[in-house]
Amino acid sequence: MENITKKIRAVAKQALINKEIDKILGWKKGDLWSESYPVFITKPEDADSLIWDSFCINNLSKYLIKELPKYDKIGIFIKGCDSTSFNQLLKDNRINRENVVLYGIPCEGMVDPEKVKKIMLNDRVTRVKKSENGFTLTNKNTSKDVLGEEIKYDKCLTCTSPNPVVYDQLLGDVVNNNVNREDRFKGVEEIESMTPDERYNFWKGEFQRCLRCNACRDICPACSCVKCVFDNSDAEISGKAKTEGEDTFFHIVRAYHVAGRCVDCGECARICPAGIPLDKLNRKIIKDINEVYGEFNAGLDSTTPAPLVTFKLEDADTFSKQGGK
Amino acid sequence: MSLDTNTNIIDKNEEFKPLIVAFCCNWCSYAGADLAGTSRLNYPANIKIIRVPCSCRVNINFVLRAFQNGADGVVIAGCHPGDCHYSTGNYHTRRRFSLITNLAEYVGVEKERFKVDWISAAEGNKFATVMNDILEDVYKLGPNKKLRDARWKI
Ligand code: SF4
Ligand code: SF4
Ligand code: SF4
Repeated sequence: MENITKKIRAVAKQALINKEIDKILGWKKGDLWSESYPVFITKPEDADSLIWDSFCINNLSKYLIKELPKYDKIGIFIKGCDSTSFNQLLKDNRINRENVVLYGIPCEGMVDPEKVKKIMLNDRVTRVKKSENGFTLTNKNTSKDVLGEEIKYDKCLTCTSPNPVVYDQLLGDVVNNNVNREDRFKGVEEIESMTPDERYNFWKGEFQRCLRCNACRDICPACSCVKCVFDNSDAEISGKAKTEGEDTFFHIVRAYHVAGRCVDCGECARICPAGIPLDKLNRKIIKDINEVYGEFNAGLDSTTPAPLVTFKLEDADTFSKQGGK
Repeated sequence: MSLDTNTNIIDKNEEFKPLIVAFCCNWCSYAGADLAGTSRLNYPANIKIIRVPCSCRVNINFVLRAFQNGADGVVIAGCHPGDCHYSTGNYHTRRRFSLITNLAEYVGVEKERFKVDWISAAEGNKFATVMNDILEDVYKLGPNKKLRDARWKI
């Protein structure tokens, strides 16, 4: 990781000095061991604050929507899941490929501070360092070795694209995380096997904790509408009442709006302050698309039309007796 | 929910008259409903038909709002694939509502309460059958409580 940090600083500095780019989006260290923040840099001398560690979880690509109109050329560091997001933004015509320089970083998975705190809460962790086969958690007096699986984010444990799928320059070696693509649907299958009432009660229990803070929408690379229906009172779907029906309404509509465009980056579920497993909604839709219309992975490229903007004459359906033929 | 418990609900509430909202495409299904009417076929009166220009005009909000505001069942009826007045609308309906049908089921709405079907202008009979079927299914299930807006009153 130190190696990559060095490379990041070097390329950023060089590109800014040569005026190849006007601004660079990266991460810098916060005050705590668990904080690595997005940072925007325009001066070459500031490039030394850039870092790459196990907490660079934030996806920088969505910032491009707001930043690109202000600059001609922007450089950005992207992990695997950030790169699928980038492709999705390209496909949705939200950004221009020519105005961006992509520095890809193969990602070995990010660490969930909450999981670390569960293991070493009262011991005041001061450092989390990558070790040979996991991580070493250190505090003032002792240190403890843990496996990666114990403290990585859930979304990283099922990540299907750790290596950037689009980049101009790759920093670091390609990683292999041996994840089975189908494993991510296990949570969905569990819910599918319940009775309708059990399913309803499960989701009711989850949805009723929703604060309607819209963080899941704001962080989502597929949710990039200039004016979101939920902010548009004229659309008459932005009911703000805290009732069961409205909560469910919000969640079904949000999940459906990203159908076929959700890149399964897991950011919505990670960011949700109420811990609602939004990934289980998105993945249900992904699973159904795969089953009914053939496997489709949004974000793998920026050109294949999304399943819901196209159709085939011989498509099947899931509702009529004859399956739509 | 087993059938027995549902029968109980109905016993206790003998008045239960399922309210069905049917979104019908102007060019096929709405004409199918007309035909069912002019042919004097029997189909239940507590079906509220909402005419839409094409089945693909119906979006997920319509369906959810119907359930929130009192529907016990919702039907979307459009022209058979290949017969769309606008050529391709119902192909989109087919994809969208395939996903939405499954999603509704996934969040716990019984699949008997939400139906999508193809009914042409010549299929007055089919119109009556589809409506009678959903009415019967919904009657067995009892009143819909899921997704209901707490502020909704009859
Ligand atoms: S819906 Fe969630 S998982 Fe899908 S693209 Fe948006 S943030 Fe990522
Ligand atoms: S929820 Fe829908 S309208 Fe809002 S940003 Fe996402 S896709 Fe756009
Ligand atoms: S982030 Fe969580 S609490 Fe906030 S609106 Fe989304 S689901 Fe609700």
